Amino acid sequence: MQLNPSEISDLIKKKIENFDLSAEAHTEGTVVSVTDGIVRVHGLSEAMQGEMLEFPGNTFGMALNLERDSVGVVVLGPYQHITEGDTVKCTGRILEVPVGEALLGRVVDALGNPIDGKGAINTTETAPIEKIAPGVIARQSVDQPVQLGLKSIDAMIPVGRGQRELIIGDRQTGKTAIAIDAIINQKGTGIKCIYVAIGQKRSSIANVVRKLEEHGAMAHTIIVAASASESAALQFIAPYTGCSMGEFFRDKGEDALIIYDDLTKQAWAYRQVSLLLRRPPGREAYPGDVFYLHSRLLERASRINAEEVEKLTGGKVKGKTGSLTALPIIETQGGDVSAFVPTNVISITDGQIFLESNLFNSGIRPAVNAGLSVSRVGGAAQTKIIKKLGGGTRLDLAQYRELAAFAQFASDLDESTRKQIERGQRVTELMKQNQYSPMSVAQMAVSLFAANEGFLDTVEVNKVLDFEAALQLYMKSEHSELMNNINATGDFNNEISSGLKAAIESFIKTHSW
Amino acid sequence: MSELATLARPYAAAAFKRAKETSATDKWSLSLAFLASVIKNENISVVVDNPKVNRQKLSALMLDICQGHVDIENENFIKLLVHNNRLDLLPTIAKLFEIYKAEDEGYIEVDVFTAFVFSKETKQEFTINLEKTLGKKIHMNVAVDKSLIGGILVRAGDRVIDGSIKGRLQHMQKALQ
Repeated sequence: MQLNPSEISDLIKKKIENFDLSAEAHTEGTVVSVTDGIVRVHGLSEAMQGEMLEFPGNTFGMALNLERDSVGVVVLGPYQHITEGDTVKCTGRILEVPVGEALLGRVVDALGNPIDGKGAINTTETAPIEKIAPGVIARQSVDQPVQLGLKSIDAMIPVGRGQRELIIGDRQTGKTAIAIDAIINQKGTGIKCIYVAIGQKRSSIANVVRKLEEHGAMAHTIIVAASASESAALQFIAPYTGCSMGEFFRDKGEDALIIYDDLTKQAWAYRQVSLLLRRPPGREAYPGDVFYLHSRLLERASRINAEEVEKLTGGKVKGKTGSLTALPIIETQGGDVSAFVPTNVISITDGQIFLESNLFNSGIRPAVNAGLSVSRVGGAAQTKIIKKLGGGTRLDLAQYRELAAFAQFASDLDESTRKQIERGQRVTELMKQNQYSPMSVAQMAVSLFAANEGFLDTVEVNKVLDFEAALQLYMKSEHSELMNNINATGDFNNEISSGLKAAIESFIKTHSW
Repeated sequence: MSELATLARPYAAAAFKRAKETSATDKWSLSLAFLASVIKNENISVVVDNPKVNRQKLSALMLDICQGHVDIENENFIKLLVHNNRLDLLPTIAKLFEIYKAEDEGYIEVDVFTAFVFSKETKQEFTINLEKTLGKKIHMNVAVDKSLIGGILVRAGDRVIDGSIKGRLQHMQKALQ
């Protein structure tokens, strides 16, 4: 951004005019020791828990341990220039980050500073990173869907607006892929997305940004990045930063979706900070409050009612509810969900999408384990047509799982068992979906309808996906009106049912797959 | 420093309690200040830190140095510290003692730095105002610091009231960045 000299002097003049020249009173302390980003400060007798403290060189820290003679502070950012004897000032404020519409399409760090080289962020609003979740009275039950655009998830494990749905699985099982598809599918729905990358490689983050840009999904997305090279303190606060940015939309009656990728790494960062602060280690060396670390974060994802929105906006927005949906991601080690952090987060969230590496390796992608995955509140929010048609899918897969072991003896089995196995194989095949190709409600409805009504039974198992692709193309070109109707209403009735049936029958006659 | 304070606190508290019982806080305060300066002396600290010097010799040495400056209770205090190997806590104990004393007498030590020398009237007026602000009696130590350029800087414990030109310029520098 180039400014000419007169503009610069105007700017400076304005700043000087507004400059507050009263005597400044604050509490001061001196640095006693600096160790791995943890600073002990003597003095600061009036420091508050979580308060932002100012170090020399425009560096800030957060007071985490208040002890009798000293305060334990984590430095947010580089700490190499802080030396023993430096003065530390109280600011009297909790850590705040910028929030607002201007953040959409931007990549910011854990403190809300832009790191995408697109200049300053044009927003005046800020919000503290730690807020108490909405109360009981302010809440409304979850009854609207968030379409993730993935058949297997939207049909069997639906997510509602304001829900917390965990994505859990080993490394390399496609956890991030689901999250990215979910963001891409929110294009044009008005749901704002926040992707919080914690402890990831910078290259992976760049990859995500590029993919979202390619699919035109950056316009409704904020990316909060605390990469592996950043200090543990920043990795620990990044989810709270993202949450505050999401709450901004929720509190003004809009819908937002936040993805924490991933909370395991945040727990590691918090463990590091806690151990360096000499807090006593507990199970797996995590500190005692690691449950609260995640529960207070995920509690903030919620749906709030219209009265609360009206109150929060000062009466500007009326009759609209707001929601913040959270998709936390947890990485397990060797499929062990009984480790400390996975069990905690499973118990906090309203259900989980369980991904398995053996499914992934056998080509079932997304590698969702339909038996272990659940959504505890999403059913109430599901689109009618998907709910109606998806129920059959879940049942087919459950029956198939029980019988799958006998699949080798297909010739010895009775007719109905063999049919169930064959149906199960086809439905399993149908649940496969490519990355970056989210489906609309109507597209899903067509595929599920075809499976439910037995149209797939005559198709060879390895041809199912070709059949589906050709069917979708046919529906798009020949029956766009029906598809639009389904997308618009989401209803399922006899008219739509017979319409779908007729359309698929006429497609089968073409034999074009 | 903060770790030493934890160790020194019980000694300072005990010394202060005893001093109050015998109403000899001022005397104790002087002796502790003296002892602290003795310990800070390089020649002494070498001896104190030397493991070859045994306790009897050390306490004899300490008592010898302090003769005439301390009374019998102070001597016992020194013996106790020597016995517990805590002589190096003395400066911290002296500091904590002063804090207890100030708290008890209801005043606070205030360091005031000014760019120019105070006139007597301004000083009095300033003292009254500052006492009102801080809500306590103050003991003011005034020092002249030309680097402030103008105005004053007040330090009362952890609290700092910065009304100096230097502080405002720094503030402005940050705002314009």
